[in-house]
Amino acid sequence: MSALVSDPTDVTPDEYPRKVLFVAGAGRSGTSTMAGLMSILGLHVPQPEVAADETNPKGFGEPRWVVDHHDRLLKAALVQVSDARPEAWFETGRISTREQERIKTAEWLGEHFDVSRELVVKDPRLSWFLSLWRVAAIRNGATPVFATMLRPPAEVVGSKQKYYANRLGSAHLAASWLNMLLHTERATRESVADGGRVFVRYADLLDDWTRTTMAVGDKLQLQGVLHANSEQIREGHRFVDPSLRRMAQSLDDLGLPPKLHELTAETWAELNKLAEPDGDTAEAHTALDQLREAYVDLYAEAEAISRSSAVAAEQTVRTQLKRPGGGSPAGDGPAGGAVGGAPAAAEPGGLADKIPHGLRAAIPPSVRRGLRKAAGRER
Amino acid sequence: MTAHSGPSGLSNREGHTDFDITWPWTRPGGLRAGSTAVLRVKDEAPSLPFVLPPLLRAMDHVLVVDNGSTDATPEVAAETAARAGLSDKLTLTSYPFSVARAGAEHLAQHELSVHSLSYFYNWCFAQVETRYSWKWDGDMVLTTEGETSIADLGWQVGDVQSIIRVPRHGLYLDGDRHGYLDLGLRNAEEWGFPIGPDFVFTKAFEWEVRTTPDPVRSIGLPFGLCVELKYLDGDEFAHWTDPASFATSFRNKRKRREWAVFNALQEGTVLPGVHEIHAPEGVHIVDHVTHDWLPRAPRPLDVGSAVTSDDAAPR
Repeated sequence: MSALVSDPTDVTPDEYPRKVLFVAGAGRSGTSTMAGLMSILGLHVPQPEVAADETNPKGFGEPRWVVDHHDRLLKAALVQVSDARPEAWFETGRISTREQERIKTAEWLGEHFDVSRELVVKDPRLSWFLSLWRVAAIRNGATPVFATMLRPPAEVVGSKQKYYANRLGSAHLAASWLNMLLHTERATRESVADGGRVFVRYADLLDDWTRTTMAVGDKLQLQGVLHANSEQIREGHRFVDPSLRRMAQSLDDLGLPPKLHELTAETWAELNKLAEPDGDTAEAHTALDQLREAYVDLYAEAEAISRSSAVAAEQTVRTQLKRPGGGSPAGDGPAGGAVGGAPAAAEPGGLADKIPHGLRAAIPPSVRRGLRKAAGRER
Repeated sequence: MTAHSGPSGLSNREGHTDFDITWPWTRPGGLRAGSTAVLRVKDEAPSLPFVLPPLLRAMDHVLVVDNGSTDATPEVAAETAARAGLSDKLTLTSYPFSVARAGAEHLAQHELSVHSLSYFYNWCFAQVETRYSWKWDGDMVLTTEGETSIADLGWQVGDVQSIIRVPRHGLYLDGDRHGYLDLGLRNAEEWGFPIGPDFVFTKAFEWEVRTTPDPVRSIGLPFGLCVELKYLDGDEFAHWTDPASFATSFRNKRKRREWAVFNALQEGTVLPGVHEIHAPEGVHIVDHVTHDWLPRAPRPLDVGSAVTSDDAAPR
């Protein structure tokens, strides 16, 4: 047989190169649909998975261990799932350099390569730890590839508010979306270890999942997708429900502050270019670099303007800690909202939960460390 | 801040005004986001083809400052970047003054002299245009994991004022396919620093030291991410005034270890903690160690227990 017309069935799944697809992006952006389809088409979701619930009746496609692992690491980094602070990336990056975390992550991944040579790992918290997973892949002689799901920010924010009754407000959620997407784009740019990346619009996936997933499989050379059989394709049609895209809000509906509105709209427009064939260009990266810088500047301005709120929050916590028992204050300030299907990083029921997320995030890490120490809590 | 620092820069004692230093954060437009590696090099032509490609991929920019090379180091740097398709990330420049060797010569030199290590470093880092910087040597090669780790931290650090420590391991080369990797010593030095008035160079006893605010954040990378090339047929200690200079204090423990390993290998003795490694046919020993041997070595890496450099202490 000529090498030019080699039969792909000559290569069995046992011979596929080790590859792991990381499905990244903001929660409620179609990451579960993408991971679910990849699983149906032959990539392995490490078991056990998080069970489906009413917020995601078709299932999350999330390995339980990964969710727990990320929750623990976020807690150690003092970072929320929907954290709008640009500096939060250094906090999770710092945790990702710890040798013991690299060992744990690489060992877990290695166990699942024993089950299948092509894996898919998805979790709304994943973007925070892509550098850790990249190392885990390297240590297993595997190639990491990345799929980032794109959904209009107005729909993501609307979806989060609907499903999680989030009381943080659309400005905070839009800022979190910006922080997540602008930095996920930066984190998945070509690295020496990688096998490529794709950006996928959720709308495209729902409109014609066969065309969209084949493009992903082709670009990332996912053998499971490229060699999916008829029954797997039928199952894909049973799985994808175009009515999943229930939200139809526009950015105008969110009533964002003008600068935030402008940045969100521009970022969405630029990210969309990456989803076009041959759209992942140096010019697009430059534009996104500028938007990321603009967001960092905007956040710094907002932090400076709201410094009094941060000081007031510090004083409130100090006062509460001085009370007998240092227990929870009376009253019921809004809790740090969980976004993405699991609890936020703050300790459930802890004093930190009583402080609004925005204020908690504004307290300098050194002060937070001091407060934890005063409360006799170690992390 | 150095004791002699001015608000906008430094002037040297010799009156070479074209080599006065303007702090980069005072320039119009200020600094841009990103990371720059700064290499001060002299006769590093054999090492740069291994050093530069991973560094150019990992950084937003790489600045190579040549200091009197006679082995075509600048040309090799340019050719290497061109071969990697990354010439746009490389800036080559030169510093024409002789610089005091580490040890006694350095101690005798005033820190505002163009011949001082401190002044030389301040001049080099004053050319940086990004907000974060990495001090790098012309013989330090990143492993695959090291390259991705540095690349990710390079953007993650953003405006956070944190130092980053990078462990390195001596790789003693005996030809193209044979070498010795020294894992007998824990050595992690501060290589990543923000660019700003709190982080400039001043004089220490044997060499320069970078100033830091108090308190300052500092994080360390794991072992096994970077090797330092040593040539068994070369003079690895030429940049020291005299080997006796590093026989004196705790600060010089790494140099004493290198001296011991180097001389033991010359005599045919492999000290404990040193691994003899052969590369497969057709693969260079440096590529083998950085792409395969170290990335796949069992973790945690079995590294000697002695912490060497004084700036490796946790803050």
